Amino acid sequence: MNSKFMQRFIEIAGRIGAQRHLVAIRDGFVAIMPLIIAGSIAVLINNFPPFGKKFDFVGWMNGIFGDGNWQLVGGTVWNGTFAVLGLLVAFSIAYNLAKSYEVDGLSAGLISIASYIMLVPVTEDWGLNFAWLGSQGLFVGIIVSIITTELFRLLMSKDKLVIKMPELVPEGVSKSFAALFPAMIILALVGLFQALMTALAGVNVFEVIFDVIQKPLQGIGDSLPAAMVVAFLNHLLWFFGLHGTNILGGVIEPIYLPLLEQNVDLWAGGMSAFDVPYIVTKPFFDTFVYMGGSGTTLALLIAIFIVVRNERKHPYREVAKLAAPAGLFNINEPVILGLPIVLNPVFLIPFIFGPVILTVISYVALSTGLVPRTVAMLPWTTPPIFSGYLVTGGSWRGVALQVVNLTISVLMYIPFIMAGVRAWNQQMKEDKAS
Amino acid sequence: MKIILVCSAGMSTSMLVNKMRKSAEERGLEASIDAVAESQLKNNLEGTDVVLIGPQVRFLEKKIRALVEPKGIQTDIIDQIAYGMMKGDVVLDQAIALKK
Repeated sequence: MNSKFMQRFIEIAGRIGAQRHLVAIRDGFVAIMPLIIAGSIAVLINNFPPFGKKFDFVGWMNGIFGDGNWQLVGGTVWNGTFAVLGLLVAFSIAYNLAKSYEVDGLSAGLISIASYIMLVPVTEDWGLNFAWLGSQGLFVGIIVSIITTELFRLLMSKDKLVIKMPELVPEGVSKSFAALFPAMIILALVGLFQALMTALAGVNVFEVIFDVIQKPLQGIGDSLPAAMVVAFLNHLLWFFGLHGTNILGGVIEPIYLPLLEQNVDLWAGGMSAFDVPYIVTKPFFDTFVYMGGSGTTLALLIAIFIVVRNERKHPYREVAKLAAPAGLFNINEPVILGLPIVLNPVFLIPFIFGPVILTVISYVALSTGLVPRTVAMLPWTTPPIFSGYLVTGGSWRGVALQVVNLTISVLMYIPFIMAGVRAWNQQMKEDKAS
Repeated sequence: MKIILVCSAGMSTSMLVNKMRKSAEERGLEASIDAVAESQLKNNLEGTDVVLIGPQVRFLEKKIRALVEPKGIQTDIIDQIAYGMMKGDVVLDQAIALKK
Protein backbone atom coordinates (compact mmCIF):
# COMPACT_ATOMS: atom_id res chain seq x y z
CA MET A 1 0.00 0.00 0.00
CA ASN A 2 1.23 3.46 -0.94
CA SER A 3 2.58 4.91 2.27
CA LYS A 4 2.34 8.54 1.17
CA PHE A 5 -1.35 8.12 0.49
CA MET A 6 -1.72 6.40 3.85
CA GLN A 7 0.02 9.20 5.72
CA ARG A 8 -2.24 11.71 4.03
CA PHE A 9 -5.33 9.69 4.87
CA ILE A 10 -4.38 9.37 8.53
CA GLU A 11 -3.63 13.06 8.66
CA ILE A 12 -7.01 14.07 7.22
CA ALA A 13 -8.90 11.61 9.43
CA GLY A 14 -6.91 12.92 12.38
CA ARG A 15 -7.88 16.47 11.58
CA ILE A 16 -11.56 15.52 11.48
CA GLY A 17 -11.19 13.41 14.62
CA ALA A 18 -9.60 16.27 16.51
CA GLN A 19 -11.76 19.11 15.13
CA ARG A 20 -12.77 21.10 18.18
CA HIS A 21 -16.48 21.52 17.45
CA LEU A 22 -17.01 17.97 16.27
CA VAL A 23 -15.22 16.70 19.36
CA ALA A 24 -17.41 18.91 21.57
CA ILE A 25 -20.54 17.57 19.87
CA ARG A 26 -19.35 13.98 20.21
CA ASP A 27 -18.37 14.38 23.87
CA GLY A 28 -21.65 16.20 24.49
CA PHE A 29 -23.50 13.14 23.29
CA VAL A 30 -21.23 10.80 25.24
CA ALA A 31 -22.01 12.76 28.40
CA ILE A 32 -25.80 12.47 28.08
CA MET A 33 -25.76 8.80 27.02
CA PRO A 34 -26.51 7.48 30.54
CA LEU A 35 -29.68 9.60 30.61
CA ILE A 36 -30.67 8.51 27.11
CA ILE A 37 -30.24 4.85 28.01
CA ALA A 38 -32.11 5.28 31.30
CA GLY A 39 -35.04 6.87 29.48
CA SER A 40 -35.04 4.22 26.83
CA ILE A 41 -34.93 1.35 29.31
CA ALA A 42 -37.80 2.94 31.27
CA VAL A 43 -39.93 2.82 28.12
CA LEU A 44 -38.76 -0.71 27.41
CA ILE A 45 -39.91 -1.88 30.85
CA ASN A 46 -43.24 -0.08 30.48
CA ASN A 47 -43.96 -1.88 27.23
CA PHE A 48 -42.26 -5.21 27.79
CA PRO A 49 -43.94 -7.97 25.81
CA PRO A 50 -45.15 -11.10 27.63
CA PHE A 51 -43.10 -14.31 27.42
CA GLY A 52 -45.73 -16.67 26.09
CA LYS A 53 -48.95 -16.61 28.12
CA LYS A 54 -47.41 -17.41 31.51
CA PHE A 55 -45.07 -14.51 32.16
CA ASP A 56 -46.76 -11.21 31.40
CA PHE A 57 -44.98 -8.52 33.43
CA VAL A 58 -46.96 -5.57 32.10
CA GLY A 59 -50.25 -7.45 32.66
CA TRP A 60 -49.31 -8.26 36.28
CA MET A 61 -48.34 -4.73 37.11
CA ASN A 62 -51.54 -3.37 35.56
CA GLY A 63 -53.47 -5.92 37.63
CA ILE A 64 -51.87 -4.74 40.85
CA PHE A 65 -51.82 -0.96 40.41
CA GLY A 66 -54.62 -0.39 37.93
CA ASP A 67 -54.20 0.15 34.21
CA GLY A 68 -51.27 2.40 33.39
CA ASN A 69 -50.70 3.79 36.89
CA TRP A 70 -47.35 2.13 37.56
CA GLN A 71 -46.16 3.14 34.10
CA LEU A 72 -46.17 6.77 35.21
CA VAL A 73 -42.78 6.14 36.79
CA GLY A 74 -41.14 5.10 33.54
CA GLY A 75 -43.06 7.71 31.57
CA THR A 76 -41.77 10.44 33.83
CA VAL A 77 -38.20 9.17 33.51
CA TRP A 78 -38.63 9.34 29.75
CA ASN A 79 -39.91 12.92 29.91
CA GLY A 80 -36.83 14.08 31.78
CA THR A 81 -34.29 12.31 29.62
CA PHE A 82 -34.62 11.21 26.01
CA ALA A 83 -37.70 13.43 25.51
CA VAL A 84 -35.62 16.57 26.17
CA LEU A 85 -32.62 15.57 24.06
CA GLY A 86 -32.25 19.04 22.54
CA LEU A 87 -32.17 20.75 25.91
CA LEU A 88 -29.62 18.26 27.28
CA VAL A 89 -27.14 18.69 24.44
CA ALA A 90 -27.54 22.48 24.58
CA PHE A 91 -25.82 22.22 27.94
CA SER A 92 -23.39 19.34 27.42
CA ILE A 93 -21.98 20.54 24.08
CA ALA A 94 -21.50 24.10 25.34
CA TYR A 95 -19.80 22.75 28.46
CA ASN A 96 -17.37 20.60 26.48
CA LEU A 97 -16.63 23.28 23.92
CA ALA A 98 -15.89 25.84 26.64
CA LYS A 99 -13.63 23.32 28.39
CA SER A 100 -11.66 22.84 25.19
CA TYR A 101 -11.04 26.61 25.13
CA GLU A 102 -10.19 26.48 28.82
CA VAL A 103 -12.96 28.89 29.78
CA ASP A 104 -15.60 28.27 32.45
CA GLY A 105 -17.67 25.31 31.22
CA LEU A 106 -20.45 25.62 33.78
CA SER A 107 -21.20 29.25 32.88
CA ALA A 108 -21.08 28.49 29.17
CA GLY A 109 -23.47 25.56 29.63
CA LEU A 110 -25.93 27.63 31.64
CA ILE A 111 -25.89 30.50 29.16
CA SER A 112 -26.50 28.03 26.35
CA ILE A 113 -29.49 26.46 28.15
CA ALA A 114 -30.96 29.90 28.90
CA SER A 115 -30.58 30.91 25.24
CA TYR A 116 -32.18 27.67 24.11
CA ILE A 117 -35.20 28.15 26.37
CA MET A 118 -35.53 31.75 25.20
CA LEU A 119 -36.02 30.48 21.67
CA VAL A 120 -38.45 27.64 22.45
CA PRO A 121 -41.99 28.51 21.33
CA VAL A 122 -44.44 28.84 24.22
CA THR A 123 -47.80 27.11 24.18
CA GLU A 124 -51.12 28.99 24.55
CA ASP A 125 -51.36 28.22 28.24
CA TRP A 126 -47.82 29.44 28.93
CA GLY A 127 -45.89 26.19 28.84
CA LEU A 128 -42.73 25.19 27.06
CA ASN A 129 -43.52 23.15 23.98
CA PHE A 130 -42.12 19.70 24.71
CA ALA A 131 -41.90 18.90 21.03
CA TRP A 132 -39.12 21.44 20.60
CA LEU A 133 -37.22 20.47 23.75
CA GLY A 134 -36.63 17.00 22.36
CA SER A 135 -35.09 15.54 19.28
CA GLN A 136 -36.87 17.96 16.94
CA GLY A 137 -34.95 20.76 18.60
CA LEU A 138 -31.64 18.90 18.54
CA PHE A 139 -30.02 20.92 15.78
CA VAL A 140 -31.09 24.18 17.39
CA GLY A 141 -29.46 22.88 20.57
CA ILE A 142 -26.22 22.14 18.72
CA ILE A 143 -26.18 25.48 16.88
CA VAL A 144 -27.13 27.54 19.95
CA SER A 145 -24.53 25.85 22.13
CA ILE A 146 -21.76 26.47 19.60
CA ILE A 147 -22.66 30.08 18.81
CA THR A 148 -23.23 31.15 22.41
CA THR A 149 -20.04 29.45 23.58
CA GLU A 150 -17.97 31.04 20.81
CA LEU A 151 -19.40 34.43 21.83
CA PHE A 152 -18.75 33.64 25.49
CA ARG A 153 -15.12 32.76 24.83
CA LEU A 154 -14.67 35.92 22.77
CA LEU A 155 -16.23 38.17 25.43
CA MET A 156 -14.35 36.49 28.27
CA SER A 157 -11.09 37.34 26.51
CA LYS A 158 -11.92 41.07 26.69
CA ASP A 159 -10.47 42.16 30.01
CA LYS A 160 -12.77 45.17 30.33
CA LEU A 161 -15.85 42.93 30.38
CA VAL A 162 -14.64 40.58 33.06
CA ILE A 163 -15.30 41.65 36.64
CA LYS A 164 -12.33 40.90 38.85
CA MET A 165 -12.99 40.13 42.49
CA PRO A 166 -10.56 40.62 45.38
CA GLU A 167 -8.57 37.49 46.17
CA LEU A 168 -10.49 36.73 49.36
CA VAL A 169 -13.72 36.05 47.46
CA PRO A 170 -14.32 32.31 47.00
CA GLU A 171 -13.60 30.97 43.52
CA GLY A 172 -17.21 30.00 42.78
CA VAL A 173 -18.44 33.50 43.47
CA SER A 174 -15.72 35.25 41.53
CA LYS A 175 -16.29 32.91 38.58
CA SER A 176 -19.98 33.68 38.41
CA PHE A 177 -19.29 37.40 38.50
CA ALA A 178 -16.62 37.08 35.86
CA ALA A 179 -19.27 35.69 33.53
CA LEU A 180 -21.83 38.40 34.35
CA PHE A 181 -21.29 40.90 31.54
CA PRO A 182 -20.59 38.31 28.86
CA ALA A 183 -23.77 36.47 29.91
CA MET A 184 -25.85 39.66 29.82
CA ILE A 185 -24.56 40.58 26.37
CA ILE A 186 -25.15 37.11 24.90
CA LEU A 187 -28.65 36.76 26.34
CA ALA A 188 -29.58 40.26 25.15
CA LEU A 189 -28.43 39.33 21.65
CA VAL A 190 -30.43 36.11 21.69
CA GLY A 191 -33.47 38.01 22.97
CA LEU A 192 -33.10 40.60 20.21
CA PHE A 193 -32.77 37.87 17.63
CA GLN A 194 -35.88 36.11 18.92
CA ALA A 195 -37.88 39.37 18.94
CA LEU A 196 -36.85 40.16 15.38
CA MET A 197 -37.68 36.67 14.18
CA THR A 198 -41.16 36.61 15.72
CA ALA A 199 -42.13 40.28 15.26
CA LEU A 200 -40.72 41.01 11.83
CA ALA A 201 -40.35 37.69 10.07
CA GLY A 202 -43.13 35.95 11.98
CA VAL A 203 -41.28 32.65 12.05
CA ASN A 204 -40.10 30.28 14.71
CA VAL A 205 -36.39 29.47 14.64
CA PHE A 206 -37.00 25.88 15.67
CA GLU A 207 -39.33 25.23 12.75
CA VAL A 208 -36.96 26.85 10.27
CA ILE A 209 -33.90 24.88 11.39
CA PHE A 210 -35.87 21.67 11.64
CA ASP A 211 -37.34 22.03 8.15
CA VAL A 212 -34.26 23.37 6.42
CA ILE A 213 -31.44 21.38 8.05
CA GLN A 214 -32.53 18.58 10.34
CA LYS A 215 -35.36 17.01 8.38
CA PRO A 216 -33.49 16.74 5.06
CA LEU A 217 -30.39 15.33 6.81
CA GLN A 218 -32.47 12.76 8.65
CA GLY A 219 -34.24 11.85 5.44
CA ILE A 220 -30.90 11.15 3.80
CA GLY A 221 -29.63 9.39 6.92
CA ASP A 222 -32.52 6.94 6.97
CA SER A 223 -31.76 5.68 3.46
CA LEU A 224 -29.91 2.54 2.44
CA PRO A 225 -27.11 4.34 0.55
CA ALA A 226 -26.37 6.54 3.57
CA ALA A 227 -26.31 3.52 5.89
CA MET A 228 -23.90 1.77 3.53
CA VAL A 229 -21.63 4.83 3.41
CA VAL A 230 -21.59 5.04 7.23
CA ALA A 231 -20.69 1.35 7.56
CA PHE A 232 -18.05 1.64 4.85
CA LEU A 233 -16.36 4.75 6.26
CA ASN A 234 -16.32 3.40 9.80
CA HIS A 235 -14.54 0.24 8.71
CA LEU A 236 -12.22 1.98 6.28
CA LEU A 237 -11.02 4.13 9.19
CA TRP A 238 -10.61 1.11 11.45
CA PHE A 239 -8.70 -0.68 8.70
CA PHE A 240 -6.16 2.12 8.89
CA GLY A 241 -6.03 1.60 12.64
CA LEU A 242 -8.12 4.65 13.46
CA HIS A 243 -11.08 4.69 15.80
CA GLY A 244 -13.89 4.97 13.22
CA THR A 245 -16.86 5.40 15.54
CA ASN A 246 -14.93 7.98 17.50
CA ILE A 247 -13.95 10.04 14.47
CA LEU A 248 -17.39 9.93 12.87
CA GLY A 249 -19.29 10.35 16.17
CA GLY A 250 -19.77 14.11 15.91
CA VAL A 251 -21.53 13.67 12.57
CA ILE A 252 -23.36 10.38 13.11
CA GLU A 253 -24.95 10.92 16.52
CA PRO A 254 -26.95 14.09 15.69
CA ILE A 255 -28.56 12.25 12.77
CA TYR A 256 -29.17 8.76 14.09
CA LEU A 257 -30.14 9.47 17.69
CA PRO A 258 -33.23 11.62 16.89
CA LEU A 259 -34.46 8.97 14.45
CA LEU A 260 -34.42 6.49 17.30
CA GLU A 261 -36.13 8.93 19.67
CA GLN A 262 -39.06 9.28 17.29
CA ASN A 263 -39.33 5.49 17.00
CA VAL A 264 -39.31 5.01 20.78
CA ASP A 265 -41.80 7.80 21.32
CA LEU A 266 -44.31 6.30 18.88
CA TRP A 267 -43.73 2.81 20.26
CA ALA A 268 -44.35 4.05 23.82
CA GLY A 269 -47.60 5.54 22.52
CA GLY A 270 -48.77 2.10 21.50
CA MET A 271 -47.57 1.75 17.91
CA SER A 272 -46.16 -1.66 16.98
CA ALA A 273 -42.38 -1.90 16.53
CA PHE A 274 -43.09 -3.08 12.98
CA ASP A 275 -44.83 0.18 12.13
CA VAL A 276 -42.49 2.80 13.61
CA PRO A 277 -41.14 4.95 10.79
CA TYR A 278 -37.34 4.79 10.85
CA ILE A 279 -35.12 1.90 9.83
CA VAL A 280 -31.58 3.21 10.21
CA THR A 281 -30.88 4.40 13.76
CA LYS A 282 -27.95 4.28 16.12
CA PRO A 283 -28.84 0.84 17.57
CA PHE A 284 -29.49 -0.43 14.04
CA PHE A 285 -25.72 -0.43 13.48
CA ASP A 286 -24.74 -1.48 17.00
CA THR A 287 -27.11 -4.42 17.07
CA PHE A 288 -27.24 -5.86 13.59
CA VAL A 289 -23.89 -4.87 12.07
CA TYR A 290 -21.24 -4.19 14.74
CA MET A 291 -21.72 -7.49 16.57
CA GLY A 292 -18.64 -8.05 18.70
CA GLY A 293 -17.52 -4.56 17.68
CA SER A 294 -16.79 -2.87 14.37
CA GLY A 295 -16.16 -5.40 11.62
CA THR A 296 -18.58 -7.93 13.15
CA THR A 297 -15.47 -9.35 14.78
CA LEU A 298 -17.49 -11.80 16.84
CA ALA A 299 -18.00 -13.65 13.56
CA LEU A 300 -14.28 -13.37 12.88
CA LEU A 301 -13.48 -15.00 16.23
CA ILE A 302 -15.92 -17.84 15.53
CA ALA A 303 -14.41 -18.27 12.06
CA ILE A 304 -10.91 -18.52 13.53
CA PHE A 305 -11.99 -21.18 16.02
CA ILE A 306 -13.52 -23.14 13.13
CA VAL A 307 -10.57 -22.85 10.73
CA VAL A 308 -7.69 -23.16 13.20
CA ARG A 309 -9.15 -25.89 15.39
CA ASN A 310 -6.18 -28.29 15.29
CA GLU A 311 -3.12 -26.10 15.70
CA ARG A 312 -3.52 -25.04 19.32
CA LYS A 313 -0.50 -22.76 19.28
CA HIS A 314 -1.33 -20.94 16.07
CA PRO A 315 -1.06 -17.16 16.60
CA TYR A 316 -4.53 -16.52 15.13
CA ARG A 317 -5.99 -18.85 17.71
CA GLU A 318 -3.97 -17.27 20.50
CA VAL A 319 -5.30 -13.83 19.64
CA ALA A 320 -8.84 -15.15 19.29
CA LYS A 321 -8.70 -16.82 22.71
CA LEU A 322 -7.38 -13.66 24.29
CA ALA A 323 -9.98 -11.49 22.58
CA ALA A 324 -13.06 -13.69 23.03
CA PRO A 325 -14.20 -12.66 26.54
CA ALA A 326 -14.12 -8.93 25.77
CA GLY A 327 -15.44 -9.62 22.29
CA LEU A 328 -18.74 -10.85 23.68
CA PHE A 329 -19.22 -7.33 25.02
CA ASN A 330 -18.36 -5.71 21.70
CA ILE A 331 -14.86 -4.66 22.74
CA ASN A 332 -12.54 -5.63 19.93
CA GLU A 333 -9.32 -3.65 19.95
CA PRO A 334 -7.37 -6.82 20.78
CA VAL A 335 -8.48 -8.46 17.53
CA ILE A 336 -8.24 -5.39 15.36
CA LEU A 337 -4.78 -4.41 16.58
CA GLY A 338 -3.42 -7.80 17.59
CA LEU A 339 -4.34 -10.13 14.76
CA PRO A 340 -3.83 -7.60 13.22
CA ILE A 341 -6.62 -6.49 10.93
CA VAL A 342 -5.11 -3.04 10.62
CA LEU A 343 -3.40 -2.68 7.22
CA ASN A 344 -3.51 -6.44 6.75
CA PRO A 345 -4.46 -7.13 3.12
CA VAL A 346 -5.85 -10.55 4.08
CA PHE A 347 -8.74 -8.95 5.97
CA LEU A 348 -9.31 -5.90 3.80
CA ILE A 349 -12.29 -7.34 1.92
CA PRO A 350 -14.24 -9.16 4.64
CA PHE A 351 -13.59 -6.50 7.28
CA ILE A 352 -14.69 -3.53 5.18
CA PHE A 353 -17.28 -5.02 2.85
CA GLY A 354 -18.74 -7.69 5.13
CA PRO A 355 -20.40 -5.08 7.37
CA VAL A 356 -21.69 -3.22 4.32
CA ILE A 357 -23.38 -6.41 3.13
CA LEU A 358 -24.87 -6.96 6.59
CA THR A 359 -26.16 -3.39 6.50
CA VAL A 360 -27.99 -4.15 3.26
CA ILE A 361 -29.44 -7.41 4.60
CA SER A 362 -30.60 -5.76 7.83
CA TYR A 363 -32.09 -2.83 5.97
CA VAL A 364 -34.08 -5.14 3.73
CA ALA A 365 -35.22 -7.28 6.69
CA LEU A 366 -36.46 -4.22 8.58
CA SER A 367 -37.96 -2.38 5.64
CA THR A 368 -39.96 -5.39 4.42
CA GLY A 369 -41.33 -5.97 7.92
CA LEU A 370 -39.65 -9.36 8.45
CA VAL A 371 -38.03 -7.97 11.57
CA PRO A 372 -39.33 -5.15 13.82
CA ARG A 373 -37.50 -1.83 13.80
CA THR A 374 -35.35 -0.48 16.62
CA VAL A 375 -37.18 1.01 19.61
CA ALA A 376 -34.57 0.99 22.39
CA MET A 377 -31.14 2.35 23.13
CA LEU A 378 -28.84 0.03 25.06
CA PRO A 379 -25.30 0.37 26.35
CA TRP A 380 -23.05 -0.48 23.39
CA THR A 381 -21.46 -3.25 25.46
CA THR A 382 -24.71 -5.29 25.52
CA PRO A 383 -23.85 -8.74 24.10
CA PRO A 384 -25.44 -9.81 20.80
CA ILE A 385 -28.61 -11.96 21.14
CA PHE A 386 -29.64 -9.92 24.22
CA SER A 387 -29.28 -6.75 22.19
CA GLY A 388 -31.23 -8.13 19.23
CA TYR A 389 -34.09 -9.12 21.50
CA LEU A 390 -34.21 -5.86 23.45
CA VAL A 391 -33.75 -3.22 20.74
CA THR A 392 -36.65 -4.62 18.77
CA GLY A 393 -38.89 -4.19 21.81
CA GLY A 394 -38.62 -7.85 22.80
CA SER A 395 -38.86 -9.75 19.54
CA TRP A 396 -37.22 -13.08 18.72
CA ARG A 397 -37.11 -11.93 15.13
CA GLY A 398 -34.42 -9.45 16.14
CA VAL A 399 -32.36 -12.33 17.52
CA ALA A 400 -33.00 -14.34 14.36
CA LEU A 401 -31.63 -11.53 12.22
CA GLN A 402 -28.51 -11.38 14.39
CA VAL A 403 -27.98 -15.13 14.03
CA VAL A 404 -28.43 -14.92 10.25
CA ASN A 405 -26.05 -11.98 10.02
CA LEU A 406 -23.46 -13.68 12.23
CA THR A 407 -23.63 -16.85 10.12
CA ILE A 408 -23.20 -14.92 6.88
CA SER A 409 -20.31 -13.00 8.38
CA VAL A 410 -18.59 -16.19 9.60
CA LEU A 411 -18.92 -17.69 6.11
CA MET A 412 -17.43 -14.53 4.61
CA TYR A 413 -14.43 -14.55 6.95
CA ILE A 414 -13.59 -18.26 6.62
CA PRO A 415 -11.95 -18.26 3.14
CA PHE A 416 -9.83 -15.25 4.05
CA ILE A 417 -8.66 -16.80 7.29
CA MET A 418 -7.77 -19.98 5.44
CA ALA A 419 -5.71 -17.91 2.99
CA GLY A 420 -4.08 -16.09 5.89
CA VAL A 421 -3.19 -19.32 7.66
CA ARG A 422 -1.74 -20.78 4.47
CA ALA A 423 0.39 -17.69 3.87
CA TRP A 424 1.59 -17.75 7.46
CA ASN A 425 2.53 -21.44 7.35
CA GLN A 426 4.39 -20.85 4.06
CA GLN A 427 6.32 -18.03 5.69
CA MET A 428 7.26 -20.25 8.63
CA LYS A 429 8.58 -22.93 6.29
CA GLU A 430 10.69 -20.42 4.39
CA ASP A 431 12.04 -18.97 7.61
CA LYS A 432 13.08 -22.43 8.74
CA ALA A 433 14.70 -23.23 5.41
CA SER A 434 16.78 -20.06 5.29
CA MET B 1 6.98 6.52 38.09
CA LYS B 2 3.62 7.71 36.79
CA ILE B 3 2.34 6.46 33.45
CA ILE B 4 -0.87 7.57 31.72
CA LEU B 5 -2.49 5.82 28.79
CA VAL B 6 -4.74 7.80 26.49
CA CYS B 7 -7.49 6.12 24.54
CA SER B 8 -11.11 6.71 23.58
CA ALA B 9 -13.78 4.83 25.48
CA GLY B 10 -11.30 3.29 27.88
CA MET B 11 -12.61 -0.28 27.77
CA SER B 12 -9.77 -2.12 26.10
CA THR B 13 -7.08 0.14 27.49
CA SER B 14 -8.11 -0.65 31.03
CA MET B 15 -7.48 -4.33 30.27
CA LEU B 16 -3.96 -3.40 29.20
CA VAL B 17 -3.49 -1.23 32.28
CA ASN B 18 -4.25 -4.19 34.53
CA LYS B 19 -1.64 -6.30 32.77
CA MET B 20 0.92 -3.51 33.05
CA ARG B 21 0.26 -3.12 36.77
CA LYS B 22 0.73 -6.84 37.25
CA SER B 23 3.99 -6.72 35.35
CA ALA B 24 5.21 -3.76 37.39
CA GLU B 25 4.33 -5.59 40.58
CA GLU B 26 6.26 -8.68 39.50
CA ARG B 27 9.32 -6.55 38.86
CA GLY B 28 8.91 -4.77 42.19
CA LEU B 29 8.59 -1.50 40.31
CA GLU B 30 6.81 1.35 42.07
CA ALA B 31 4.49 2.65 39.38
CA SER B 32 1.15 4.37 39.08
CA ILE B 33 -0.49 3.40 35.80
CA ASP B 34 -3.85 4.75 34.68
CA ALA B 35 -5.95 5.14 31.55
CA VAL B 36 -7.85 8.33 30.79
CA ALA B 37 -9.88 9.71 27.90
CA GLU B 38 -8.20 12.37 25.81
CA SER B 39 -10.48 15.10 27.16
CA GLN B 40 -9.39 14.27 30.72
CA LEU B 41 -5.67 14.24 30.01
CA LYS B 42 -5.11 17.90 30.84
CA ASN B 43 -6.30 17.40 34.42
CA ASN B 44 -4.09 14.39 35.06
CA LEU B 45 -0.66 15.56 34.03
CA GLU B 46 0.57 16.49 37.51
CA GLY B 47 3.68 14.44 38.27
CA THR B 48 3.32 12.28 35.16
CA ASP B 49 6.49 10.86 33.59
CA VAL B 50 5.19 9.19 30.47
CA VAL B 51 2.02 9.48 28.39
CA LEU B 52 1.32 6.52 26.10
CA ILE B 53 -1.14 6.92 23.23
CA GLY B 54 -3.41 4.07 22.17
CA PRO B 55 -2.77 3.09 18.55
CA GLN B 56 -6.44 3.55 17.64
CA VAL B 57 -6.28 7.24 18.53
CA ARG B 58 -2.86 7.86 16.97
CA PHE B 59 -4.38 10.82 15.14
CA LEU B 60 -4.23 12.71 18.44
CA GLU B 61 -0.45 12.38 18.63
CA LYS B 62 0.36 15.93 17.44
CA LYS B 63 -2.14 17.48 19.83
CA ILE B 64 -0.93 15.44 22.79
CA ARG B 65 2.74 16.12 22.03
CA ALA B 66 2.03 19.84 21.97
CA LEU B 67 0.30 19.53 25.31
CA VAL B 68 2.77 17.39 27.27
CA GLU B 69 6.21 17.93 25.82
CA PRO B 70 6.60 21.50 27.11
CA LYS B 71 6.08 20.00 30.57
CA GLY B 72 8.96 17.62 30.05
CA ILE B 73 6.72 14.58 29.76
CA GLN B 74 7.72 11.90 27.27
CA THR B 75 5.11 10.49 24.95
CA ASP B 76 4.74 7.91 22.19
CA ILE B 77 2.21 5.68 20.47
CA ILE B 78 1.88 2.22 21.98
CA ASP B 79 3.21 -0.53 19.74
CA GLN B 80 0.13 -1.79 17.94
CA ILE B 81 0.80 -5.51 18.20
CA ALA B 82 1.78 -5.26 21.86
CA TYR B 83 -1.46 -3.41 22.49
CA GLY B 84 -3.53 -5.92 20.58
CA MET B 85 -1.95 -8.91 22.28
CA MET B 86 -2.35 -7.10 25.62
CA LYS B 87 1.34 -7.54 26.38
CA GLY B 88 1.59 -5.53 29.57
CA ASP B 89 5.29 -6.20 30.08
CA VAL B 90 6.26 -5.05 26.57
CA VAL B 91 4.27 -1.82 26.91
CA LEU B 92 5.79 -1.25 30.35
CA ASP B 93 9.25 -1.67 28.80
CA GLN B 94 8.29 0.89 26.22
CA ALA B 95 7.30 3.36 28.94
CA ILE B 96 10.51 2.75 30.91
CA ALA B 97 12.63 3.20 27.79
CA LEU B 98 10.87 6.49 27.07
CA LYS B 99 11.56 7.86 30.52
CA LYS B 100 15.30 7.44 30.10
